[in-house]
This record gives sequence, C-alpha cells and structure tokens, in this order.
Amino acid sequence: MKKMIGLDKLPALWEQLSAEGPLYLPIEERGVVCFKPWYEGAVVRLDALNGVVPPKDIFLPREETYMRYQGGSQTLEIEAVSPGPDDKATLFGVHPCDLKAVEMLDRVYIDQEPGDSLYRRRRENATVVALACSSPDPFCFCNLFEVDPADAPGADIMAYLSEQSLYLETRTEKGETMLAKAESLISDAKDEPERPREVKTTDFGLYLEGLSDNLKERFDDPAWDNLYKSCLSCGVCTYVCPTCYCFDVEDFGHEGAGERFRCWDSCMFGHFTQMAGGHNPRPDRKERVRQRFLHKLQYYPQTYGEIACVGCGRCLRSCPVNLDIVQAVKALGGEAVEQR
Amino acid sequence: MNKDNPLLPQVATVLDITSETPDIKTLRVAGKDGLPFEFMPGQCAMLSIPPIGEAIFSITSSPTCRECLEFSIKEVGTVSSALHDLPPGAHIGIRGPYGNGFPVDDMKGKDLLFIGGGIGLAPLRSLIGYCFSNRDQFGHIDIVYGARSPADLIRKSEIKETWPAEPDTSVYLTVDAENPDWKENVGFVPAYVSELGFKPENKIAITCGPPIMIKFVLQALDKLGFKPEQVITTLEMRMKCGVGKCGRCNLGPVYVCKDGPVFSLAQLNELPAEY
Repeated sequence: MKKMIGLDKLPALWEQLSAEGPLYLPIEERGVVCFKPWYEGAVVRLDALNGVVPPKDIFLPREETYMRYQGGSQTLEIEAVSPGPDDKATLFGVHPCDLKAVEMLDRVYIDQEPGDSLYRRRRENATVVALACSSPDPFCFCNLFEVDPADAPGADIMAYLSEQSLYLETRTEKGETMLAKAESLISDAKDEPERPREVKTTDFGLYLEGLSDNLKERFDDPAWDNLYKSCLSCGVCTYVCPTCYCFDVEDFGHEGAGERFRCWDSCMFGHFTQMAGGHNPRPDRKERVRQRFLHKLQYYPQTYGEIACVGCGRCLRSCPVNLDIVQAVKALGGEAVEQR
Repeated sequence: MNKDNPLLPQVATVLDITSETPDIKTLRVAGKDGLPFEFMPGQCAMLSIPPIGEAIFSITSSPTCRECLEFSIKEVGTVSSALHDLPPGAHIGIRGPYGNGFPVDDMKGKDLLFIGGGIGLAPLRSLIGYCFSNRDQFGHIDIVYGARSPADLIRKSEIKETWPAEPDTSVYLTVDAENPDWKENVGFVPAYVSELGFKPENKIAITCGPPIMIKFVLQALDKLGFKPEQVITTLEMRMKCGVGKCGRCNLGPVYVCKDGPVFSLAQLNELPAEY
C-alpha cells in the first residue's frame, strides 16, 4: 500500500519516530549534512545529496566499547558490553547507493562466520527508510554498479520526495509496523508519486567486466608504481567510503578498571600492519594503496561476487590528490576503449 | 570462542612462567576448569592484559595436554613484554582458538619432517606433541631445529632428551656459529637440511622460523625434490580481531587469522607474497 505524508507534517513524524528509538536523519549542521540522531529544531535535509560521511557508523560505530574490566592482576573481571536488544534505530532518508553499501558490510559482519553480534543486532533492529535520489551530482556514478538511484531493494520503506509530499512505499513488515505507529500523520496516496525513473549518473568511461579476474595477474603491474605516488596517507578515502570497514581494538583505562573498544581504522596508515618486531608486510604507500584498491576491485569480489564500490562519489569529492577509485580503475585497465 | 561476541575474552590464570632463552619465556595458562577452550595444533589465541592490550600468539602445547595451554613467547612488543613480567597466578584475558591449524588428517600415515628456527619451534611443538601422543598414526619423525646460539634454543630438555628418546624419531640440532659448549652441528638451518638430504617420498615438511630462514628452507626443500603440496608453513601477521574482519592480515582475499595461519607452499604460491 502506498502512503503519503505532507512535508509540513514531517517534524511531527520525526518526533513520533524518535520516541521509539534513535532516529537518524540527514541533518545539516554548520553547512555539513550527515546522518545524526534527530533532535528538536534539527535542520533535516531530505533534499540533500549524500552526506560527507556515509551512514555506516550507525551499524559500525566509529568507536564502540564492547568490554569492561576491573580488578588487578589476580582479581581480573571481564564484563561484556553490547547494545541493548531494545535499541531499535530508524535510519530515514538513506540513498540507494549507501544502502547497497550497507548490504556489502552485512556479508562481512553477518553472513561470514563467525558473525559479529554487535553489528548484527543493530542491523536487525533497525528500520531503514530509503529515499530515492533524483539529482545526483557530477561525482555520482552509481549506475555503473547497477544501483538504481530511484529504488533500493533492501529498504523496509522506499520513499519518494515531491514538492509537497513524501510518498512512502512499504516493503517489509518492519516498514508496516513503523508506519502503523504514525497512522494519524499519514494518509493513503491517491496518486502515484512521480518517480525519478532513469536517473542517469556520470559516465566516467569505465568498463568493469572481467576487471576482477584480470587483476589477479596484475599484483606486480607497473601501474602501481605510478598510481600511489600522490597518496598522502591521510586515510580520508577509507573514512568516507561506505564499503570500508576495517577496525582497530584498543584498551582505555588503568590497571584497576577500564574498557576495551574498537574503532575505525584505515589500511592507508603505516602502522596498520606493522608488527611488534618492526616487520611490516605493507611497508610503503605503494603496498597500502594497492591493498585498498585490490580489496575493492579483486579481493572482495573474489569472495562475495561483486565489486566493493557503489559509485557514491565520496572518494572523488574528498581525496585531496584525486587518487580516487575512478583513477585506479582507469590505471588498471578498466577504461572503456572500444565504442560500445 | 565466545558465541555472542568473538572479540570477548575470558579470564585465565598464568600458572607459571619459565625462562627459555634471554628473550623467550613459556607461560602455562589455564581457564577456570583446565583448558580455556578446545583447539587443534597450529591454532592461535589472543592474549591480553588490560589496559596494555591484546596480541595473537600460537599455542605451543599439544591439545593432548589437558591441564593448560602453553605459550612460548618472544619479547618483542608491549604485550609480549608485559606477559614476560607477570607474576605466577596473574590473570590475563584469553580468546580463541583462531585459525585453521595443521592439516593433521592429511598427515596421517606419512613421514614428517619438522624444520624450525628460533621461536619458530613454538607452533611446531604443538603438532610434534600431538604426533607423539598419537604415535601410531604417523611415520618416521625428523626434527631439525636451530637457533643463533645454544642459549637461544627453546625447550632445551625436550629437544635434547625427551624427543630423541621417542620411537622412530630423529632430532637434529644446529646453531649459527661455533661455541665451546656446543657438540652438535654448526651452520644455518637451510644448509643443514640440504646436508641431511631428506628424501621427499611419502613425507610432509613443516617449517616455521624467521622469514629469511623460511625462504632458504623452501629453496633447500625444492632442491631435495619436495613438491609445493608437501611443504607446510605457518605465518605470522599483525591481527586485531582474529575472525577475518579487522582487515590487517589478508594475503589477497585470504585472511591469515581465519583461513591460515597454516598454508601449504602450493597455496602460498597462488597468493600475493605480502607477508
């Protein structure tokens, strides 16, 4: 059943949904749009393009304490910390590219044994409202990865924004339950929403067929010797990438009490693989840049059958030296040469 | 492994700590009821001392030892140093087991050639102990073990007395340089392996040691006629999770923590040599 809600009623909807659990929306603060928990007076920007940082942190937080300890060397006690089973979040307004990226993380954190219970619980408890994307910017190239900017198959509710209304199409039971709670604000849609069908994103002239297989033979390709040189090892590509998921584990506290947490980490950093004795299997930027791009273009596809990129364009927008995935694919033989 | 959160350790007790060499100590570690978990030779465990941190170590004892796990640990970083300094009875965090372990079923009925260097004997010892406990399942056992100096050899009483006395077992010891107290072979491990001239027929070679030693051992075995499928090694990488997610220890699409650390040379030849 298709439903609709007037844009003027959205603040009331936010208020109602946030009473059930954390409600994440694209919120603008100081000119930057990111998914954040809604608060009264928040500037919600459903019309904005993708936020600077993808919403992966809702399921894989930047930092997350999973253990507390107390006691000294002969009285150590360890206690698990995990998100409560009632922590039911709503992610509202995620674009199809970012939702597809979350599904890529699901394979690593849920499907691949042993699953990650912290991630899984958050993901299973969350209700996802995807929002059709009607005006991609010149950096967007999700079409290449078969993302339909107007449709996200994995959503609980698919939403379409028009001038006066937000159309809501429920896809799952979770989606129905969510809308049932806001019944008073929502009405049946009398007309079909104007779907932004056939949204075209930028064609960078890339050709991906066979790329993952070809890369198996290109680990020692001379292309790597040039590609990495401009890299500053700043790591921004990994922080803004919706399919990057590496983490670090650290302790914080003193001998008597403290906690163990994990936090985002980056394969672009020199210490990432540095061993205690000093040996580093990926000692320089060349090996690290190669690792990152091969993980996206060869290793992940070899394991899960799909390139780990959704064409969201964030690395193109953020990399200070334009060492983005489009440049990498071009350098590695993924440029369309023949006229097709 | 904790079913709900594989990153969550349990509390274990360090029963005692023995000095092996100037920079290697062996810790005997027990959970509340003996072994903290069941495992197979070649698997690893994460040991931690909060708030100093966590690091991965191969299990040195055989699973047939039921009282405790043993870890022979070289002092190289913050966690290993802190483990060295623990008093007997100290509590630590432990989680595991991680990794695939040695392919013991494929080794049954075969002659085994163990080649270890320095602390590299630690993971091999788990399998060696397992073979001695199931002696009739394996053929002849050769053990070549070397270190820089006699003082740097670990498990001295085992390598000199216990193991050579086991049935159908030969132990060959070597050190890098001449030493007045040393009566056995002098020379690097790979050269000694070549000199001993092991025959590859119905044999599996299992090697672990410093990367430079492994490199030349592989060349020596190749010259002796061992096929890549007959050569097995175990790798060491920096790890944080142990379950193939944190992103540090991959060789191409393979994660050393869960798909390794044990690989045949045939498998390694198919992977990027990023170790």
